[in-house]
Amino acid sequence: MKQQLHAIQAEFLKNRYANILWATFIAFGLAPIMGGVFILIIQDPEALAKTGGLAAKTQAMNFEANWKSYIGLLTQAVGVGGVMVFGFVASWIFGREYSEGTAKDLLSLPTSRTKILNAKFMVYVLWCFVLSVSNLLLGLLIGLFLQLPAPEAGILSPLLSDYFITTLLTVLIGVPIAFFAIWGKGYLAPLGFVALTLVFSQIIAATGYGSYFPWSIPGLYSGSGGEYKMLLDSWSYTILILTSLAGYLATIFYWKNADQTK
Amino acid sequence: MEIIKTTSLTKHFGTTPASDNLSIHVKEGEIYGFLGLNGAGKTTLIRMLLGMIKPDQGDIHLFGKKLTPQFDQWNDIGYLVETPYAYPNLSVIENLKIYYKLRQLNNPALIDAIIHKLKLTPYKDKKAKVLSLGNQQRLGLAKALMHQPKLLILDEPINGLDPEGIVEVRELLRDLANQGSTIFLSSHILGEISKVANRIGIIHEGKLVKELTTNELTDQLIKKILVATNNNAKAVQELTASGYKAVLTEEDEIAITNKEALSNPEEISKLLVERNLPPKQVYQFTEDLEMYFLRTIRHKA
Repeated sequence: MKQQLHAIQAEFLKNRYANILWATFIAFGLAPIMGGVFILIIQDPEALAKTGGLAAKTQAMNFEANWKSYIGLLTQAVGVGGVMVFGFVASWIFGREYSEGTAKDLLSLPTSRTKILNAKFMVYVLWCFVLSVSNLLLGLLIGLFLQLPAPEAGILSPLLSDYFITTLLTVLIGVPIAFFAIWGKGYLAPLGFVALTLVFSQIIAATGYGSYFPWSIPGLYSGSGGEYKMLLDSWSYTILILTSLAGYLATIFYWKNADQTK
Repeated sequence: MEIIKTTSLTKHFGTTPASDNLSIHVKEGEIYGFLGLNGAGKTTLIRMLLGMIKPDQGDIHLFGKKLTPQFDQWNDIGYLVETPYAYPNLSVIENLKIYYKLRQLNNPALIDAIIHKLKLTPYKDKKAKVLSLGNQQRLGLAKALMHQPKLLILDEPINGLDPEGIVEVRELLRDLANQGSTIFLSSHILGEISKVANRIGIIHEGKLVKELTTNELTDQLIKKILVATNNNAKAVQELTASGYKAVLTEEDEIAITNKEALSNPEEISKLLVERNLPPKQVYQFTEDLEMYFLRTIRHKA
């Protein structure tokens, strides 16, 4: 336990001054800001008339200037955008050791390779949840600033529940990215994998089979696919959890057993 | 006690043999220099010793224990493999703190001590990315030495160091060996290895082609007396007649290889003067280490 704690402390120290840390918060923070712009447009009929493209988008999304719509938008941002941003986070945490040439210094230490990887997974989960919470807080500030009407009684709890379950699903499906970072020895393979999953999750969701494609599931759960959310069943969540578990085990197995020549 | 013992260590990458039946033994307190051209298999052996690469065949024993995934003496080993890298956005002290944590150490003074020892104090708060190549090498050595290991495995430890740094590292390694540490270091520079190592192994195409002590190395270097006169052909005749093994070289010099000639070159000068062939040059040639190394690997090839 002490070894694991030290490994986590080391991992935190590594990320303390990482520029990517702030880059992910800025990128992820675009969603609540965009939602705020939508609210502004709706609240101001003159602006609605002037901003043709954005207004059309706002109307196409059936976006309304209330907490339900706004938190719903943030949830979709986690389910779809999170696959990308959390993917960047995982690519960075696991790929950096090879890109920075430090991987070899982590392989012959009293702290086992499994504990070092576990520390990385913990930092990944924490980083993603902090990103998720920060978006929610930013959204809260923007919503209060724009004076959204007070939510109806009992509406917030299911909205927040959806938000955090979507976060959890998105975090889980990012786990296999670690394997691609370790296997590909850098950022390129995991980022390529993230790009592929994004493309395929959209295509497969559009064909109606997204409920069985793990990378489509968070997006569908978030409501970005509209009524397709109803297609999710226990098999969908089982597939997602098994994919995540397989990614975790493959990462550990590969790092423990593969020849490390870089 | 043998600190490192490998038995018939073999590793292929595809069809390329990186290690071919390598058996080496390194005793406690010894500085073992491992020499080979780039690509000879030095780093593969070092990575196998550190459990980073699994051999196809053969065993490794460190401190008398077989190297398996359960090996638990990593804090007795310090290592530096190829170019040392550090986390670029972290300072020297922060980089060391990471390995302090991962090595589960309990004495914070170790960090300051190694910074001081490797003369990194002026740079301890500087980010690793702004360090010179030499100071990055020092930081790599600091990571390897911070926990005061009993065995040091160093791959090309003097790369990037300036002459002063090379001397400092050489003295540091000698001090560590005097204090009982065992050092296994690789290099492609025989001259440098011969200055610190007690024993040298030469590897070529994955095979150990020669293993010898530094005294044996000195004995094996080719030595000869090179002489030039106004009539070298006649001088060769006179020297041969007097019992010297003298031959004319392609450079039109007389090469004499007798031990007596090497220990008493003045006798050659005296003889030639007596025969009315006064020498223009009497020079003792000793093969340099690089030539010896190349001769060894070419002979084995």
